[in-house]
Amino acid sequence: MMFFKNTYNEFIKIAAKPRSYIGLIALSVLIAVIIFAMKADGSTYISFVTASFEQTLSFSGDIMNGNLIAFIILQMLIVHIPLLVALVTGDLISGEANMGTIRMLASKPISRSQIVLSKFTAGALYTLLLTIWLGFLSLYVARWIFGTGDLMVLTSDGLIIHPESDIEWRYIYGFLTAYLSLLTVSTLSICLSAFAENSIGPIVSTMAIIILFTIIGTMDVTVFDTIKPYLFTTHMAAWRSYFEDPVPWDAINESIRILIYHNVILVAIALFQFNRKDITS
Amino acid sequence: MKQFIVFLFFIQICNLHYAQQSKVLNAYVTKLNSVKDYSVNAKIVAAVPMIKIKEVNAIIYFKQKDKFKIETKGIAVLPKQGFLDLNKFLATPSKYMAIESAGKEISGVQTTMVTVIPIDESTDVILAKLWIDSKRNIIMTSQLTTKSSGMLTTTYAYADQIPFGLPSSLVFEIDVKKFKMPKSVAANIHQTNKSTNNNKDQKGKITVYLTGYKVNKGLSDSIFK
Repeated sequence: MMFFKNTYNEFIKIAAKPRSYIGLIALSVLIAVIIFAMKADGSTYISFVTASFEQTLSFSGDIMNGNLIAFIILQMLIVHIPLLVALVTGDLISGEANMGTIRMLASKPISRSQIVLSKFTAGALYTLLLTIWLGFLSLYVARWIFGTGDLMVLTSDGLIIHPESDIEWRYIYGFLTAYLSLLTVSTLSICLSAFAENSIGPIVSTMAIIILFTIIGTMDVTVFDTIKPYLFTTHMAAWRSYFEDPVPWDAINESIRILIYHNVILVAIALFQFNRKDITS
Repeated sequence: MKQFIVFLFFIQICNLHYAQQSKVLNAYVTKLNSVKDYSVNAKIVAAVPMIKIKEVNAIIYFKQKDKFKIETKGIAVLPKQGFLDLNKFLATPSKYMAIESAGKEISGVQTTMVTVIPIDESTDVILAKLWIDSKRNIIMTSQLTTKSSGMLTTTYAYADQIPFGLPSSLVFEIDVKKFKMPKSVAANIHQTNKSTNNNKDQKGKITVYLTGYKVNKGLSDSIFK
């Protein structure tokens, strides 16, 4: 019971901070900009994608629809949203240490482990809120503006056109997997926050790790081939696999497993660190 | 005397032009021109390498001289130069030369091959080869070579609309070796297996099944807007 009350308090703390709304506002502005750009000149973007095919083929029907816009938004923003997540969650423990409230928190009739777990839960709720907001804006607002229709997806193996009736479940699973990816970022930043005494350190460190891992993942060097499958950034784009045909379920399950392992290990490290943290000085 | 020479020259030009027209093709074009408009239900099945798409239902509208529209609920893939381009090109005999020669047997029918060469160099069509059933005045197979899209082979099948020369199915064969994926858009940075089959020379096939023709019923121009 104390755990839930503390989690509620943690969420109130997040809601009270102005920086928590930066993510929501930034997402809204970014999506509005993308939707405006697509409305104004989306056909150029589409022709760039289909140019190679249109030498021989012609596409009839409404290609530029809400489903495609949602896919474009997701593809563009999923790289940047971790920053918006880390901005809030990276401060959850270190912020308390910085302000000196951590001692007061630890004096409550609740174990240190429960304090950390309630912070993780509050961070997960904030991340969920951000993902739902992203889904609502990218999918439902885009559909409202552009209408619905078949989804044309360009992969490195070619072009896949999914019928409208076969899209909804892909987005639902896609957003759930994207949430798991963002949750990993949230967990990482809270874990780093347990080691720090200020807010900036964990936020910058989280982004630095994501950038480093992403660069390692993109480098076509064989020396990194053995570690690439174990980097969480490699699996952050697993949501995209639901839009392949056939869906590579084994690869998706593997990605989900690795992301879950990351979450469990990072929570364990944070628990270990916070339980032995000296908060008296 | 001068006028007589000009007259002889004119007669010679006319004879030359006449010699470059094909009776078989002219009969087909006459049949083609008897269709003022039509609408037809289409089922489009595309088997094109590097493109995955399920079959799509559509309604096709056509009205003389060159009004054409495909109405689909979803996205349909069709050859760039498929339905209208050949007929549009053939509709004006003064713009091309046609040479008849012996054809091959297609679906048990002995055909006449007509090679069509445009006179106007600015046209997109370089060459068209038509295998025509001269008894029924219908095209059995066509091979259209264009500057923009390369070669397109179309095989025709017919059912109840033979009097109008309208097919019940069309099978388009297209060359897909030139497809290149824009890496900045298509590349999945998290993909570890690299695709290797993009540059292979492959043929794509798009089959269009046409049913429920409504011919010369009078289509409104507003449909094509």
